[in-house]
Amino acid sequence: MNPILEVRDVRKSYGDFVAVGGVSMSVPPGSIFGLLGPNGAGKTSTIRMIMNITAPDTGEILVFGRPRTPNDLRRIGYLPEERGLYRKMTVMDQLLFLGEIRGLKRAALVPEIDRWLGRVELSKWSGSKIEELSKGMQQKVQLIGTVLHKPDLLILDEPFSGLDPINQELFRELLQDYRAQGKSVVLSTHGMELAERMCDHICLISKGRAVLDGDLKEIKRRLGGNSFRVIAEGDLDRLRAMPEVEQATILNDEIKLMLRPDADGAETLRQMIGFLKVREFRSEEPELEQIFMKAVRDAA
Amino acid sequence: MRLDNIFVVLKREYLSRVKNKGFWIATLAVPLFASAVTILPTLLMSKSHTSQTIVVVDATGQGVAEALKTQMAKTAAAKSKEAAAAPARRPGKGDSRLADFTIEAQTPAADPQAQRNELDARVRNGKGKVDAWMWLGPGVLKDEAAEYHARNTTNFLTQDTLRGDLSEVVRRVRLRQAGVDPARMEELTKRVELDAKQVPGTGTSGGGIAGLIFAVVLFFLLYMSILMWGQQVMTGVLEEKGTRVIEVLISAITPFELMMGKLLGICFVGMTQLAIWLGTVLVLTAPGIVATLAFLPAGMTMPTLTIGMMLNLAFLFILGFFAYATFYAAIGASFNNLQEAQQVASVAVVFIVAPVMVLNQIINDPSSTTAVAMSLFPLFTPLIMPLRIAIEMPPFWQLALAYVLTFSFVIGMIWICSRIYRVGILMYGKKPTIQEIWRWAWYS
Repeated sequence: MNPILEVRDVRKSYGDFVAVGGVSMSVPPGSIFGLLGPNGAGKTSTIRMIMNITAPDTGEILVFGRPRTPNDLRRIGYLPEERGLYRKMTVMDQLLFLGEIRGLKRAALVPEIDRWLGRVELSKWSGSKIEELSKGMQQKVQLIGTVLHKPDLLILDEPFSGLDPINQELFRELLQDYRAQGKSVVLSTHGMELAERMCDHICLISKGRAVLDGDLKEIKRRLGGNSFRVIAEGDLDRLRAMPEVEQATILNDEIKLMLRPDADGAETLRQMIGFLKVREFRSEEPELEQIFMKAVRDAA
Repeated sequence: MRLDNIFVVLKREYLSRVKNKGFWIATLAVPLFASAVTILPTLLMSKSHTSQTIVVVDATGQGVAEALKTQMAKTAAAKSKEAAAAPARRPGKGDSRLADFTIEAQTPAADPQAQRNELDARVRNGKGKVDAWMWLGPGVLKDEAAEYHARNTTNFLTQDTLRGDLSEVVRRVRLRQAGVDPARMEELTKRVELDAKQVPGTGTSGGGIAGLIFAVVLFFLLYMSILMWGQQVMTGVLEEKGTRVIEVLISAITPFELMMGKLLGICFVGMTQLAIWLGTVLVLTAPGIVATLAFLPAGMTMPTLTIGMMLNLAFLFILGFFAYATFYAAIGASFNNLQEAQQVASVAVVFIVAPVMVLNQIINDPSSTTAVAMSLFPLFTPLIMPLRIAIEMPPFWQLALAYVLTFSFVIGMIWICSRIYRVGILMYGKKPTIQEIWRWAWYS
């Protein structure tokens, strides 16, 4: 299937500072695509270029299989990283405006807005000014404004920041509904755990470069075949120093262990028993965070 | 460019402002305030009179105190007669006194110091309702001042009336002493008044002074509107930039559509406000109201707003608004916050204020070279042309030329500023220099 969005080796510098130094990614239809990376990696810069807010120095961006036209942009729903609405407008007026600038008619918009406000439990705030709403509520209003025109592609920059777990869950449901309709979502986040729960495709960005890109399950299979969960006591530093160990993340008494691809798990366990009191050793799917850290190290 | 997009933005800009309580407070406050400072004092002066009792000790030996008493009674009687005869007339000169005076004449006692002490005491404890006392020494007939003792000595209006009437009385005594008949003297030194009438077909306003007031009021309404709503454009653009609403908007519409929608929307808000203000002026100057408020001096007719004048005003407001608001839009888009933007925006204020500086000159001679030249300069046209029109209709060619020049200027401003706007609105970070902003206008 043709990708809905394709970014080909896009670069952007501000003076001497390289914000994006070569990012490529491909978003398939019907997917939730995570653009991952630490703060300052270049996620927002990449998104702003996709949205035609800034122009790339080099590289190419294809939307719906062709270079973007202004009409293509109208088929995208975009939630910027820094949230903003007209503070003095009421929720209803604000949403009507956001719908109308995309060519929707007022008569069709009102029931649609009511339906959305009901879904996110903001119905009784419809006549309130934006400035009277809490931050979380404003974020929900803004998300409605992003999806109101039923875009074919959603681009959300850090959509979960500042949301409590209940609202995060609500957002997650909305996005999964969206995917179920065969539409695609691109979301950026630095929260690996969240991305892991939500995304089926990812692109990892570090220092302006894409270090990993593809189907999440496939990436995990490819890169994380040698992961183990270990519960043990003893000289953990010695464990870290073992040549077979690529990465050991220690959380209290639990150790997330990633071995080199060529290392043998059974052999490693045998050696460990020599200096550790091992109570549990079990093969496990790696966490995205471990993959990310490995990928960043490999790239460096 | 899509007109429906511009219309959606226009609608938002207009309604979000007109629905705001602040707009109505500001809009209604101006006429209320204006009436308060113009009509109220007149009303107060004509309706509220106090009476004052003043003891006058006359040491001149020429009956000045008695003459003063007669003089004051005479003016008071004349005033009430005039008021009864013509209620629509405002009290003329000499009648705008705040109080009626009761004069108690005394001759100097054997012990002047005791008399002074006693009068001081009467004023101090208000016994016999004495408000002040005066001592007229013999020197008053030459060049000495008359003493005035009162609880408060900042009552300039009262003192002014006293001074006027006393001078009148003393002048008559002096004339008589010099062997001149005061009545004859008055006849011979009477002032000549100018009865100013406009040649028909040369202008719009009726009477000299009323037409002038009207022109100046128009001038300042336009001045306020252009300045205020121009700056609203700037703060509106800064809000969209600051809240990043802009990033969402330009994924749906072009920066040019957004800017034009905003300019037109706010322009209509300004016109709505002007219409309300002018409507108020029309109502307040309706003949019936003017009469009941006793607002106008005798013989003065109120200027009327003609359709042609209204159209000129509307077009000149639109042009003036666009000449300045496009600049404000570009400045708002270029900077990151109000503080940064305001420094550069003050440049526009210089141009708006300049016509105020030459206001007097233009009023005095609306066809002078300065007035004509300034009214043809696009940045001044929207303020100076209405002023000229209100005072004296300029020749057609000047009006036409002014429109052509200002219109071309506005088109040029829209072109340059929309290009700056387009780049600036998405620029964040460091404050740009003027050179950088200028370069944005020429990006392809």
